[in-house]
Amino acid sequence: MCLCPYMNKKVTEQMKKEVVAMLLAGGQGSRLYALTSQVAKPAVPFGGKYRIIDFPLSNCVNSGIDTVGVLTQYRPLELNSYLGNGQPWDLDRSDGGVHILPPYLGEGEKGSWYKGTANAIYQNIGFLDMYDPEYVVILSGDHIYKMDYSEMVAFHKKTESACTISVLEVSMEEAKRFGIMNADENDQIYEFEEKPAHPKSNLASMGIYVFTWSKLRKYLIDDEADPNSSNDFGKNIIPNMLNAGERLMAYRFQGYWKDVGTIDSLWDANMDMLSRNSGLDIYDENWPIYARTPIKPPHVTGPNAVISHSLVTGGSDVDGTVMNSVLFHSATVETGAEIQYSILMPGATVKAGAKVYYSIVAENATIEAGATVGAPPSGEEGWGIAVVASGITVGENAVVTPSAMIREDVKGGERA
Amino acid sequence: MNDLHGILFAYRSDANLGELTRMRNTCSLPFGGRYRLVDFMLSNYVNAGMTDVGVVVHQSYQSLLDHLGSGKDWELSRKHGGLRILPPFSYAEQGHREYQGSMDALVGVSDYLSDIRQDYVILSWGDIGINLPINKVFEQHLSSGADITMVCTPVLNGAPQYSEYVEANEQGWVSDLSVHPTTAGKALESLEIYILSKRLLLDMVDYCAAHNLSNFSRDVLQPRLKLLKINTYIHQGYVARFQSVGDYYQRSMDLLDPAVRSDLFNPARPIRTKDHSNPSTYYGPGSVSRQSLVADGCYIEGEVENSILARGVVVEKGAKVSNSVLMQGTVVKAGASLSYVITDKNVVINENRSLMGHHTYPLAIAKGSVV
Repeated sequence: MCLCPYMNKKVTEQMKKEVVAMLLAGGQGSRLYALTSQVAKPAVPFGGKYRIIDFPLSNCVNSGIDTVGVLTQYRPLELNSYLGNGQPWDLDRSDGGVHILPPYLGEGEKGSWYKGTANAIYQNIGFLDMYDPEYVVILSGDHIYKMDYSEMVAFHKKTESACTISVLEVSMEEAKRFGIMNADENDQIYEFEEKPAHPKSNLASMGIYVFTWSKLRKYLIDDEADPNSSNDFGKNIIPNMLNAGERLMAYRFQGYWKDVGTIDSLWDANMDMLSRNSGLDIYDENWPIYARTPIKPPHVTGPNAVISHSLVTGGSDVDGTVMNSVLFHSATVETGAEIQYSILMPGATVKAGAKVYYSIVAENATIEAGATVGAPPSGEEGWGIAVVASGITVGENAVVTPSAMIREDVKGGERA
Repeated sequence: MNDLHGILFAYRSDANLGELTRMRNTCSLPFGGRYRLVDFMLSNYVNAGMTDVGVVVHQSYQSLLDHLGSGKDWELSRKHGGLRILPPFSYAEQGHREYQGSMDALVGVSDYLSDIRQDYVILSWGDIGINLPINKVFEQHLSSGADITMVCTPVLNGAPQYSEYVEANEQGWVSDLSVHPTTAGKALESLEIYILSKRLLLDMVDYCAAHNLSNFSRDVLQPRLKLLKINTYIHQGYVARFQSVGDYYQRSMDLLDPAVRSDLFNPARPIRTKDHSNPSTYYGPGSVSRQSLVADGCYIEGEVENSILARGVVVEKGAKVSNSVLMQGTVVKAGASLSYVITDKNVVINENRSLMGHHTYPLAIAKGSVV
């Protein structure tokens, strides 16, 4: 792994790669509240075994892309240690592999954080030039999906476009929440609208771009020179390319794709993992999703365990009732405890007789005996998924109300 | 601690394990849902900070090679040292025959031994289920001034005809060693794990090569009980040895005891294994899983009780599995029922079949069979 390669010129010819992927992993994920107070969004645990970033990373490897830059900024510690040398994804390579790219300071320069998605790539032009790619794939670290990027790159080549944007057909109602691509009958994009009140098309951008690097490089440099730009792909680069008459194509994606940027969508997507009909097949051996697996023995079920329609992972110990829930590794559900429609992240402990409904209990949080967290949907205003942040203890017989975001310990018997 | 070099013997294929070792070395026998037996001693080596390990193999080691790979799952894929698989080398001109004993095996890899960088060597079999704090054994070896330290257990596990028994005084010095007697010894059973200096080991390997001696206990230890200072390290924790299909079944069932699990899977000294990136295990509506140890990647819609399930096992609706050990990829189809059964890898039990063994005589089904 190479940290922060500051280079202005190509080093060697043999390092050239046809495709390099750049994964934007610096987002704060503020809409995940308590879950991202300690970790960057892409490092948030997902689906029993994974973290969100495992999906785009595994897609890269399965698509034959062996060089990935991961742009980090916000609370990178856990993400960096999770990625390590990239070994779980076969990205521990001497030629290419995974590179963590934080913002940096050059000699005699004023350094800055990544100002926007486009600026993040701009700041790493040196890194990209080192590999001198023909095409750059821009990915984000907050989506759950399986996609063969090599097919998208092939489409990009065939249509000779400057930029190809992966789109999903959504309902006209949903279209108001997305960046919408208006395209002609050949799927060539003529207009981009961010969250339009009156959408003209239902082609929603998935935040996955393929650029011809020589083109993108030029637009990034021009964009950086514009003091009024917010240095964002959607707001600046794409409209600038359209205005300049570049060829932009929409690439239609079919299949499971979910933005997990909010508590509700994260919970929803976890629940999708329980269904074989969700469209996301994690058991498919031809497209495995890799993860860094902790060293844990198999999970154990006790004499009183009742488990139904749930995922359970290595190192867990269940002697209570678990229904419609996702248990990550090393979760403990003691005798008489009840977990329903909930997510227990790695190391979460629910002690005897405690109840957890419609909740997300983050890493190493403890729900003491007799406590209650969350409640089934009541139809009342303000009901929602309750979240207990990592490392928090909810005391004996305490009550955590629905939609609460618990960031500090709750004392025994209290209501929060 | 880096002054200790690990040698792991992985060349025996115990005939008493029948179908379970017909196609594989005892060391690569699956155990505990996600492990192979070799994982235990290998992890013990790594957890003691050892960086160089030689694995002595002879025959049917293909599945072992596949499992160990470059050693990266044990942090043993290194530029210097790391994991080395040692097939018979010095033997090439002597034709193809099995090793007659561990000294014979060491003679077979004597070139490797002379290149060992460390001053001390630990010798062990790779088919013992144990979580052994080797640091402590090594510390005791150094502080006692012993020539050889052997690890023993006060709990008698093995059948006498395959076991070795040690008599030692209160300070742990060995006074007698009996090898494969007809009746069990009284005090201590040897686990055949030894720490000694590289120099002593090389001397003994030379001597055995020159005198055509092959057995470590009979030919090296027994004649030198008075000449060498041999000390014992008493391991109080759990030990699983595998000398028969019945042993394999009982030791598997031992894992359902929380005390055994917390000893064997002590989080401070984790047992490492090859990672297969399996997803979590799914339990369907109406499924039952009680008193069981279940690895990742299983799909369970039926009932599982008092059993060990390895990764990727499928138990369909209406199927019942009790008191059984199902290895990787076993499929139990709808309505089938298994009791006191061991299924090897990728066994398929068809609809409504019913198989039953007994706890003293479990039914073992060979790899890939379709019932």
